[in-house]
Amino acid sequence: MNRNIVLLKTLMLSTSSWNTYKYCNDKKVRAKVVGGFVGRLILYAMLMFYSIMQCVGYGQMGLASSIPVLCALVIAGLSFFLTFFKTNGYLFNFKEYDMLMSLPWKPSEVAACKFLYMYIKSLPWYLSVSLSMMVVYGIYTGASVAVYPVWIILSFVMPVIPMLIASFFGFLIARAGAGFRNKTIVQTVISFVFIFLIFAGRFFIENMFREDKTAEVLSSISAATDKAASVYLPARWFASSITTLSLLDMALLVVVSSALFAVVFIPVGRSYRKINSALKANAASRNYKLSGDAGRNGLKPKSLLNTIAFKEFKRMTGSPTYMTNALIGELFCVIAGIAVLFVDIDTIIRSVLQDAPVTKEMLYPAIPFIVYFFVGMVATTAFTPSLEGRNYWIVKSLPIPPRKLYQGKMLFNMYLTVPFAVFATVMISIKAGVPVLSLILSVVLILCLCAFSTCWGAVCGIKHMKLDWENEVEVIKQGTGVTLYLLPNMFVTMGLIAGVVALGTVVDYNAVTGILIAVVSVLTVVFYKRALAKT
Amino acid sequence: MDKEILEIKGYSKTYGEGKKACDDVNLTVRSGDIYGFIGHNGAGKSTTIRAVVGVLDFDEGDIYIDGHSVKDEPVECKRITAYIPDNPDLYENLTGIQYLSFVADVFGISEADRTARIRDYAERFEITDALGDLISSYSHGMKQKLAIISALIHEPRLMVLDEPFVGLDPKASFTLKQIMHEICGRGTAIFFSTHVLDVAEKLCNKVAIIKQGRIIASGTMEELTHGQSLEEVFLEAVNE
Repeated sequence: MNRNIVLLKTLMLSTSSWNTYKYCNDKKVRAKVVGGFVGRLILYAMLMFYSIMQCVGYGQMGLASSIPVLCALVIAGLSFFLTFFKTNGYLFNFKEYDMLMSLPWKPSEVAACKFLYMYIKSLPWYLSVSLSMMVVYGIYTGASVAVYPVWIILSFVMPVIPMLIASFFGFLIARAGAGFRNKTIVQTVISFVFIFLIFAGRFFIENMFREDKTAEVLSSISAATDKAASVYLPARWFASSITTLSLLDMALLVVVSSALFAVVFIPVGRSYRKINSALKANAASRNYKLSGDAGRNGLKPKSLLNTIAFKEFKRMTGSPTYMTNALIGELFCVIAGIAVLFVDIDTIIRSVLQDAPVTKEMLYPAIPFIVYFFVGMVATTAFTPSLEGRNYWIVKSLPIPPRKLYQGKMLFNMYLTVPFAVFATVMISIKAGVPVLSLILSVVLILCLCAFSTCWGAVCGIKHMKLDWENEVEVIKQGTGVTLYLLPNMFVTMGLIAGVVALGTVVDYNAVTGILIAVVSVLTVVFYKRALAKT
Repeated sequence: MDKEILEIKGYSKTYGEGKKACDDVNLTVRSGDIYGFIGHNGAGKSTTIRAVVGVLDFDEGDIYIDGHSVKDEPVECKRITAYIPDNPDLYENLTGIQYLSFVADVFGISEADRTARIRDYAERFEITDALGDLISSYSHGMKQKLAIISALIHEPRLMVLDEPFVGLDPKASFTLKQIMHEICGRGTAIFFSTHVLDVAEKLCNKVAIIKQGRIIASGTMEELTHGQSLEEVFLEAVNE
């Protein structure tokens, strides 16, 4: 068997739940495997449902012909961002690096196999979106039988280009960061700058189209996706392959994806060892002096919970994957809070909601949920229990009950989210002219939402704790706890944003906020107790 | 026999802020040698070993394995080398036998050879019964034994071991020492780091002492000790 296939097969096997189920005799572990599998199926079903509903909307509006472009763009966006946040942990600085690199593979082969592994692991997500959209497309357009195999085959090809681009940017960031002493901080900052540029670029392109007097055209959702496809060629090739069964476009998509795959790993391979050596190296300065000042020595006593929270903070700042994922929502809060100083709220509403009939007053009750959409994207409590990994013995052997450990982790998530969430809520509310009472209620609500996010994350993270991971990405990005936390939370928040806006038009919005504070508080207490129930 | 298998020539490794972890390291390990590499914690042993096996990038000098440069022909070097890190990170979710089969596949070992070698070494290390279990269920010592078997499976010409005796029970340590003698008798060169000076003294025919990244003494055991114990020689050397 080809050695690269051997490696890929082993990488898959080494993280396969089936292998654990098959060879582990511990009933609890096996039950967890089954639970995780069922959980994932539910999440795939949710994603499929969401994709189907989106396409049904297109179909009902007579825009079914735009579904292939929509599908290509959704998969491109999903695969780009999911890969970008995972690249650092998958391609670089992984745990078994020494073992793998001492075996006879070229660095480029290891990197390419790691990429393919990442691709295969993510494929179910992309296929859930693509295949459900294919079904709706088929129903609404009565597509010929030939469309289905083409769609299915190209579904496997579609994520490759965005994933390669994201990996390449990840590589450039790792390479740049590797030259600095504070590699983690530098890599995280560059990643955030990159994300910011992408978002800024999106608005820039959109405004460019608007100034190009194409606003009327863009007002149609279908035309907007078509326009995006004109910028992102693989989406156009995919759509054309489906709608006209163009062999040329099919071939273009496959050939360009393959060629890019072959090309990307040449420079990656060349610098691979250098980057990993730099990322793994922790130079010792050997100049520490134990002075009489406990504060300066870092020996000042802290409370138990703060000690655990501080440990968590240091864990975060030691990992670019952790830091990028944990702080992305907070970054959006800062950007939103500062952006409102310079951009009129009405302009933002027009830009985001595409001239929908929504005023800023209607959005007052939704402000905490908009902010929560950012900070609630990630709850560190959903993965930090698993992140203890093989170091779990350290805390387990300490004379503290496990609940203290989890409480400390919860406290850290609160430290992380509350300042940013309150900042964004206050800034947006002031700029939108929210009355003082409503502002106070909004702040109380966002505090409750932060606590809710922390506790719901802890429920998912503790229940689905996985300590025997190979790569921290497995728990930070792909852990069952994280996925169970993320998807329902995201969909419910989106629904709540729409819901409170609608409700606020018929009922006093302060009353709506008050009721929500009560509901969220109750849920928070329930989840807090649930999270710590068996500890 | 007596062919140079590992040659480290002017190897230096500098970390971020210009601090040299290893400085102008030179040594040669010949076929049949059991070469001990000793030094304090943080002296540069693992940094040297990781560069030898092609895991760590380095700045100056070169390292040759059986005449192949680690810098220019890393894959050729790795084909004839086996490496056991001090704390082997194996794929925890594989069974022992799946892991060994993976390594055998990588080196293209035939079914008959891999079966015979796994059977032999697993029996000697007494882990045959555990080979069907997930590695995650193994103790540190069992993982170490599995890593050793995986290193022996392709009959390497150079074996590089970082603290191989840590975590091994006395019987497994004895077995490993026996195996080291056997494979060296067949022409394999062994380069390993250790803190256990007694072991080094009894096992090695050559030793190098490293201090703050520089080799401060090296040669055959007789040349170095002159009737003293290795411990005395080591302490004298590092305290100078």
